[in-house]
Amino acid sequence: TGGHTTEILRLLSCLSESYSPRHYVLADSDKMSEAKIRSFEQKRAKTYSKSQFTLDRIPRSREVRQSWISSVVTTLYSILYSLPLTYKRKPDLILCNGPGTCVPVCLSAFLLGLLRIKRTIIVYVESICRVETLSLSGKILYYFSDYFIVQWPDLKKKYPKSVYLGRIV
Amino acid sequence: FRFKDSLAEDLQSADLVISHAGAGSCLETLEKGKPLIVVINDKLMDNHQLELAKQLHRDGCVLYCNCSNLVETLQSMDLSALKPFPPGQPEKFASFLDKVFGLQ
Repeated sequence: TGGHTTEILRLLSCLSESYSPRHYVLADSDKMSEAKIRSFEQKRAKTYSKSQFTLDRIPRSREVRQSWISSVVTTLYSILYSLPLTYKRKPDLILCNGPGTCVPVCLSAFLLGLLRIKRTIIVYVESICRVETLSLSGKILYYFSDYFIVQWPDLKKKYPKSVYLGRIV
Repeated sequence: FRFKDSLAEDLQSADLVISHAGAGSCLETLEKGKPLIVVINDKLMDNHQLELAKQLHRDGCVLYCNCSNLVETLQSMDLSALKPFPPGQPEKFASFLDKVFGLQ
């Protein structure tokens, strides 16, 4: 969604073509991100002509301020929905930065890893908006990600297993 | 004016921006090098939105007020005291990932 998409496209801006093909996963209710992504990829294709990407949509796992109990149910549903997608794409790397959408995708990849079907490296970058506290996605994925990146020093102190590279967006 | 696709043009021609504490608004404004006054809505109190605004204020990059003292702030502000906002460095992220995958 919105700010998350802008941030993640900035993160992608300096990556080489080794990180290809790129598979974008969006919430079904997200109206604006697709245009931003296509625009980014179009620009990229001017430099890297063989550049490839795909776009998939999954049901939104949680509305803002949705209650705890219903969130667990909708998230479980989203994980089940994500499993075939993650299985199909078998990504080497999942890069995410906090929208609710990323939790089921990451958890489905984590599950495929446990089942020895595909080992995916999960890299989570907490949004630059998070200076002192983690988002809910962050709090969950802190335990499931291989690398958890924060952009402010306070968070590095509170979450010692995180990686601090300064501001990267 | 309700919902434009992009405020980039308006930002470019502005001399001063007064905005809510949304991260997108703050960052876009600061990156264009425009002075920014962030107005906090006491009644909304979405704490997570405030984190970035508070930090930017601590770093001296924005002015900070609420609805009731906006006029005062405008009258007494010293925009030259605002510090520039250094851009983020996505290349550090790329470098980090390359190391993870042994691409460096």
